[in-house]
Amino acid sequence: MHFHIAVAVIIWAALFVESRKIRGISISYKRFYKERKSFLCIDGSKLIPFEQVNDDYCDCADGSDEPGTAACPSGRFYCTNLGFRPHYIQSSRVNDGICDCCDGSDEYSSPALCQKTCRNLGQQERAELEERMRMLSEGLLMKRQLVEEGADVWREKQAELTDLQKVAEDLQVRLEYLRRRKSDAGAQKEKALTAAQHPTGQEGLRSQIRAELPLDDHGQSLQDTDRLGDKDEGVEPRTDSAAPREESPNEAEVRGGDPSEDDPDVKAAVEAAESAVSDLNKAEEAHQRLQMEIRELEERLAIDYGPEREFLFLLGRCFQITAYEYSYTLCPFNQVTQKSQMGTEVLLGKWDAWDGPPEDLYGVMKYDRGEPCWQGPTRSTHVQLVCGTDSTLRWVKEPSKCHYAMELQTPAACQPQQPSRRGVHNEL
Amino acid sequence: MAAFIQRMGLLVLACVSLFVSGSLAVDKGNFKTCDQSAFCKRQRALKAGQSPYRALLDTLELSDSRVTLQLINDNNKVRLLLELYRLQGNMTRVKINELKPLRPRFEVPDVLVSDPPTEPMSLVSQDDNGVVLSLGAERQQRLIVSARPFRLDIVEGPEVLMSLNSRGLLAFEHLRMRMRKDTQANPEGEEAKEDADGAEQQVEEKETVEDGDKEEEEIDGMWEETFKSHTDSKPNGPTSISLDFSLPGVEHVYGIPEHADSLKLKTTDGGDPYRLYNLDVFQYELYNPMALYGAVPVMLAHSAERTMGLFWLNAAETWVDISSNTAGKTVFGKMLDYVQGASETPQTDVRWISESGIIDVFIMLGPTPADVFAQYASLTGTQAMPPIAALAYHQCRWNYNDQDDVKAVDRGFDEHDIPYDFIWLDIEHTDGKRYFTWDSHKFPTPQDMLQGIMDKRRKMVAIVDPHIKVDSSYKIHNEIRAQNFYIKNKDDGDYEGWCWPGSAGYPDFTKLQMRDWWASMFAYDQYEGSKENLYVWNDMNEPSVFNGPEVTMHKDAKHGDWEHRDVHNLYGFYVQMATAEGLIRRSGGVERPFVLTRAFFAGSQRYGAVWTGDNAAEWDHLKVSIPMCLSLGLVGISLCGADVGGFFKAPSTELLVRWYQTGAYQPFFRAHAHLDTPRREPWLFGPENTALIREAVRQRYALLPYWYQQFYQAYRTGQPVMRPLWVEYPKDMATFTMDDQFLIGKDLLVHPVTEEGARGVTAYLPGHGEVWYDAHTFQKHNGAQSLYIPVTMSSIPVFQRGGSIIPKKVRVRRSSSCMETDPYTLYVALNPQRTAEGELYVDDGHTFSFDSKKEFIHQSLTFAKNVLSSRSLCHDCRFSSPSWVEKVIILGTSNPKGVNLKIDGKVTPLEFDFDASMSVLTLRKPGMSAGADWTVELL
Repeated sequence: MHFHIAVAVIIWAALFVESRKIRGISISYKRFYKERKSFLCIDGSKLIPFEQVNDDYCDCADGSDEPGTAACPSGRFYCTNLGFRPHYIQSSRVNDGICDCCDGSDEYSSPALCQKTCRNLGQQERAELEERMRMLSEGLLMKRQLVEEGADVWREKQAELTDLQKVAEDLQVRLEYLRRRKSDAGAQKEKALTAAQHPTGQEGLRSQIRAELPLDDHGQSLQDTDRLGDKDEGVEPRTDSAAPREESPNEAEVRGGDPSEDDPDVKAAVEAAESAVSDLNKAEEAHQRLQMEIRELEERLAIDYGPEREFLFLLGRCFQITAYEYSYTLCPFNQVTQKSQMGTEVLLGKWDAWDGPPEDLYGVMKYDRGEPCWQGPTRSTHVQLVCGTDSTLRWVKEPSKCHYAMELQTPAACQPQQPSRRGVHNEL
Repeated sequence: MAAFIQRMGLLVLACVSLFVSGSLAVDKGNFKTCDQSAFCKRQRALKAGQSPYRALLDTLELSDSRVTLQLINDNNKVRLLLELYRLQGNMTRVKINELKPLRPRFEVPDVLVSDPPTEPMSLVSQDDNGVVLSLGAERQQRLIVSARPFRLDIVEGPEVLMSLNSRGLLAFEHLRMRMRKDTQANPEGEEAKEDADGAEQQVEEKETVEDGDKEEEEIDGMWEETFKSHTDSKPNGPTSISLDFSLPGVEHVYGIPEHADSLKLKTTDGGDPYRLYNLDVFQYELYNPMALYGAVPVMLAHSAERTMGLFWLNAAETWVDISSNTAGKTVFGKMLDYVQGASETPQTDVRWISESGIIDVFIMLGPTPADVFAQYASLTGTQAMPPIAALAYHQCRWNYNDQDDVKAVDRGFDEHDIPYDFIWLDIEHTDGKRYFTWDSHKFPTPQDMLQGIMDKRRKMVAIVDPHIKVDSSYKIHNEIRAQNFYIKNKDDGDYEGWCWPGSAGYPDFTKLQMRDWWASMFAYDQYEGSKENLYVWNDMNEPSVFNGPEVTMHKDAKHGDWEHRDVHNLYGFYVQMATAEGLIRRSGGVERPFVLTRAFFAGSQRYGAVWTGDNAAEWDHLKVSIPMCLSLGLVGISLCGADVGGFFKAPSTELLVRWYQTGAYQPFFRAHAHLDTPRREPWLFGPENTALIREAVRQRYALLPYWYQQFYQAYRTGQPVMRPLWVEYPKDMATFTMDDQFLIGKDLLVHPVTEEGARGVTAYLPGHGEVWYDAHTFQKHNGAQSLYIPVTMSSIPVFQRGGSIIPKKVRVRRSSSCMETDPYTLYVALNPQRTAEGELYVDDGHTFSFDSKKEFIHQSLTFAKNVLSSRSLCHDCRFSSPSWVEKVIILGTSNPKGVNLKIDGKVTPLEFDFDASMSVLTLRKPGMSAGADWTVELL
C-alpha cells in the first residue's frame, strides 16, 4: 500500500516537474523536449538554446518551441485534462482570460479563475457515451429489424410491381381485342346503316350484316372497316385516302333522324357499336390508371433507400414537429410542408436526393422545389439524420430565409462504428 | 374625415407600390429631382448675373468680435442683416438673415460644440464702393465687402481665395403673408401688416419670370406642393435661401456626403445638383448625386497651393451645384492652354440652396488639409474615441434567429479560429418591433445569452430604431405619449407613419427633455435583458416613414415651434446623440459608448460610427465603399464602413473574400446581410475561402494598436483616419482624383483588390524621394511611381511608408479584449535618410479615464542615427500596462555588429537576426515595457 502511494507520488511529482519545464505538450511529444543544451524545432528548421523553449518568444516557424505559451501564431497547447479527454487548443487561447482546458491548465498566468471541471465532464461524457452506446446497440438491433422489414416490403413492392405489370399485360391484350371489336362493330353499324338507306339490291349486304352481328366472331376481315376509319389511336395505320374527318358529315347525316333507325338490324348494330366503345373506354381508363400506378411504384423503387434499404420503412410515413407558430410535416421521400396557425400550408420542398458528404451520404436528405419565396429562391429543406431508438423529428430551423433544416432521429441512421473516435481519457 | 381616409388610402397604396416594385435598382420616381422640389426649381431658374442686393455701408457696425451690415434687395426693398466674424484658427463666418423676419427663422442648434471664439477684425479702408476688413495681419488676409452689387471677397496678399455672391446668386426668400386674389378670405386678415410688406411681396424671381404680376408673383409650389400623392401644406410659404461661392485656382472639390459617388465631386451642369436630404433609399444606385441616408454640408476645395473648406450650417433640404471652367477640357486641352498662355485661371463655382433657415457659412481658410480638418473640428468636434473593440470585427445579419443561433455562430468563430468582437441583432430580436424588448420565444433569456458572449470576452449590439409602435400596451409608447414627446402632424395630433412595427410614432429628438428621457431608457433596470456588453444600433433614423413623401416624414410635421422642414437633416444626429448619452449614463459616466447610426449630420462624429446603409453584393458597391468612406472622413466622420459582403443579394465567394480583405482595412469592419439572402458566415464557403477570410480578419486584429492610435489622433485633432492620398501629398496632382486606394493615417497605403478575376492591381506610391515597403513581404519600392502588383486570392496590397514606425500585436486571439495585455511588435520602416518615427498609444480600451484622468501611455518612437528610442509624450499621464515589446523589425537597414538596449542607464545586449536578402533586422525579445522610455542602439 505504502509502495503504491510512493509510486503515485513519484509519478505525480515527475509530471509536475515536467509540466513546469515544458508546459503544453503531450506525453507522446515528450521525446522532442528532452532537456539538452539546445532544441531543434520539430520541423527541423532551426536550432535554438533550450532556454528558449517556452520563453514566450516564438523562434520556430512551426511553433514547436512555444507549446506552453501564446507566442507562436501556429502553436498548439496540450490540455492534459486528467479525468477527461486530453486535447489540443490553439496557443492563442493560452492565458487569454477564458478557460478552455477543463483542468484550467491553459490559464496559468491570467486573471481568469478556472474551475477544474474535468472529473465532471468525464463522468458526464462517460454517461453520455454509455447512453449513446446503449442507444446505438438498441438502435442497431432495431435497424436490423427495419432492414429485414425493409427487405420484406421491398419484396412485396417488387411482387406488387410484377403483379401490376402482369395485369397490365393482360389488360393490353384485352385492349387490343376491344379496339378490334369496336372497329368491327363500327363497321357493322355502317354497313347496316348503308343497307337501311339503300333497301333495293342490298339484301345481300343486310344478311351479311345480320350474319356478322354476333360480335365475338374473330375471323372477320378488317379490310373494309378500315376504310371507314377509326378514331381510336393505336390500331393499324390508316391509308391516306381514308381520312376520318371527310366522312363525318356523311356519318352525321346517317345518324340524324334517319328512318332506318327503326330497323332492328340497324338498332342492334348501333347498340353493339356503342357498347364496344364504352367497354373500350373503360378498359383504357383502367389501363391508364394501372400505368400510372406502375410508374409511381417504379419511381419509388428507383429511390435509393440506403445500402440495406434501411430507410425504406420511412416511405409513406410522416413526422410532425411544432416550432413557434408553425407546425412542420416531413413525409420522407415525398415532401416537407409548413402549416401556420392560421391553417395556410406551404410546401418547403419535394424529395430530391441524399445530400450528405461523400463519407456520410445518407446523413442528409435534400428536399427542394418548394414554393418560391418573394424576391428569393424556391424553398428547400435539408434533413439531417441521427441515430436514435425511435423515429421522430428533433428540431426544425430556418437558418436563412426559405432554407429550412430539420433533424430526424431514426434507428435506420445508426451506424455500427464507434460513435466517437476519441475514446475516454484513460491515461492513469 | 372622408378626405383624410381617402388620402390615407393613397398613402398606403403608394407604400405598397414602393415595395412591390422590387427590382434590384432604386425606383428613382420615389425621390425628387431638383425640378420636382419647388424651391430648388425656383432657385435654379435664377441665373448668374447682376445681384439685386446692395450693401448699405452706412449701417456698418464694427465691434471687436463682429461686423454687421445691412443688405437691401433693390427689387423688393427687403433688408437682410449680414454678420461677419473672424474666428480663431483662420476661419471666417458669414451669417445672413432677414433684418426683420415675420417670424424667427430656424438656426441650427447643438451642432457647434460651442460658440466659436472670435478674433478682432479691423477696418482697413472704407469708401462709397465698399469696405476692406483685415482678417489678421499674420497672413495679410483681407475681407472686401463690395457694396453695389453686394459681394464678398476673401483675399490673401494679391490672391483672391474665395468670392461670395460674385455670380449674383444670393437669394433670400423672405417670410411673407400670403396675398390671396382668389375667393378664399385671408384668414389672418392683417391688412396693416400687408401694407408694410406690400412692396416686398415681389419675390426675387422677378427677373426670371417674364410677365410677372406686379402685385403678387405666386409661383407654383410656393404655398403648397404635391409630390406623388403627398401634399406639403407649406403654411409659411417660400423660405428658401441660396448663395454662390467662387473658388479661383480650384479644380477639385470634395465632401458633402452622403452620395454614392466618386471622391472628387463632379460638376452638376446639365444634371441635378448634389442633394443633401436624409432619405432611406431602397437599393440605391451608384455614381449619381441623389441624396442618401446622411448629410454633412461641408465641402473641401483643394489645389496644389491651398486647401479650404466651406461649412453651410443648415439642416433643411439642401442642393449643391458645382460648375467649373475647366470641366470638359481634356488634359491635352489644358496643356495647350498652358503652353499658349491662353488659359484663364481654373475656377470652381459652387452654389448652395436650402429650403429654409438662414445663411450661416463657415469659411475655413486652411491653408493645409490638416488645418482645414482642425478648423472644422474646432467647430463641430472630433470623432468620439471608440472602445477598441469597436475597431475589431463585427458579425451581423438580419437576423440571427434565436439564442441557439447566436450561440452556434459564436461557436463557429471559435471552431474556425476566426476572431470577432461583436455579434449583432437586427429588428427580429424584438417583440413585434417594439424596441427595448425581446421576442419571448426566440430570446427568452437575453441576459444568459449576453453572459455567454461575455464569457468569451465578446460583445453584442441590438438595434433600437426611433419609430415607436403605436400600441397602448407598450411601455415606451405610453410614456412618450404621456409626456407629449411625439412629433406632431400639421393638425397638432401625434404624427403617425408606417414603419417596421406598422403604425408608429416618432419621438421628437430635437427636444432636450425627450433626449434625456430616451437616454434614461438604456439604464439596466429600464432596458430589460440588457447588460454592460450590450451596445446599440440606430437604424431608420432619417427618419424612414414607409408611407411618407420620399419614404420620410412630412415636411409640415411639427417639432414644437419648428417645422420638420427646418430640422429634417438633424433628426438622425439627435437620435444617435441621445442613444450614446444613454449608454454613457447607464455606466455612471465611466464607459465609452458605441452606437452605430445610418442617418447623420455635421457633428455626428461625436457620437459614434456610421455605415453606408443598404448596399448590394456587387463589385461596384465594393468599389464605391472607398470614396464613400473617404468623403465622410474628410468631413470629420472617421468611423465609417460599408456592409461587408453587400446587404442586398448574395455575393459570389470571390466578392465576399475581396470584401473582407477591403473591409479589414476600412475603419468600421462589419459583415451584414439581408434577411432573404443565404447564410454567409465566413466558414460556409469551403476551407480555402475560410482561410482567406480568417487571414484578412487576423490582419485587422494584428493592426488594432495602429488603428486605435489613429482614432486617438482623430479624437485629439480631427484628422481623418482613412485618408485620400492628396491629404498627405497635397501638391501631387496625380493623387487628386484617386479613390481606388487610400491611406490609413499617413503610414499605411492600401490598394484593395476590387475587380472581379483580378490578376494584378496598379497602385500608385506617392512621394518623390520616398520609399514604401510591402507590408507582407517587406519588399522596398520607390515613391512617385505607379506599381503593377500581381495578385492572387490571398493578396491585399498594403504598403508601409518608409520613415514610419507601426506597432502591431501579432498574437491574434479570439477577441480584442483577449489581446489586451499582449506584447507589441514594432515595425520600423526606414526612409532613404535612415530615419523613422511613430507613436505608441495605450489605454484601458473602454473607459473615459484616458480623458478624465489622463490614464494612458503615449510614447513617441523615433529612429535616427542608428538609435531607436521611445520617449513619453505625456509626463503627467498615469497608466501602466503589462504589455511589453516582444520584437522589433527594422526594414531597410544594414547588418549591425551588435545591438544594445538602454533603460534607466542600464545597457543590455540584444539578440538579433539579419535577413540580408530583404535588409530586415529582427531584434529578439527586447522586452521593454510599453510605457517605458528606452533606447536601442545599432552598433
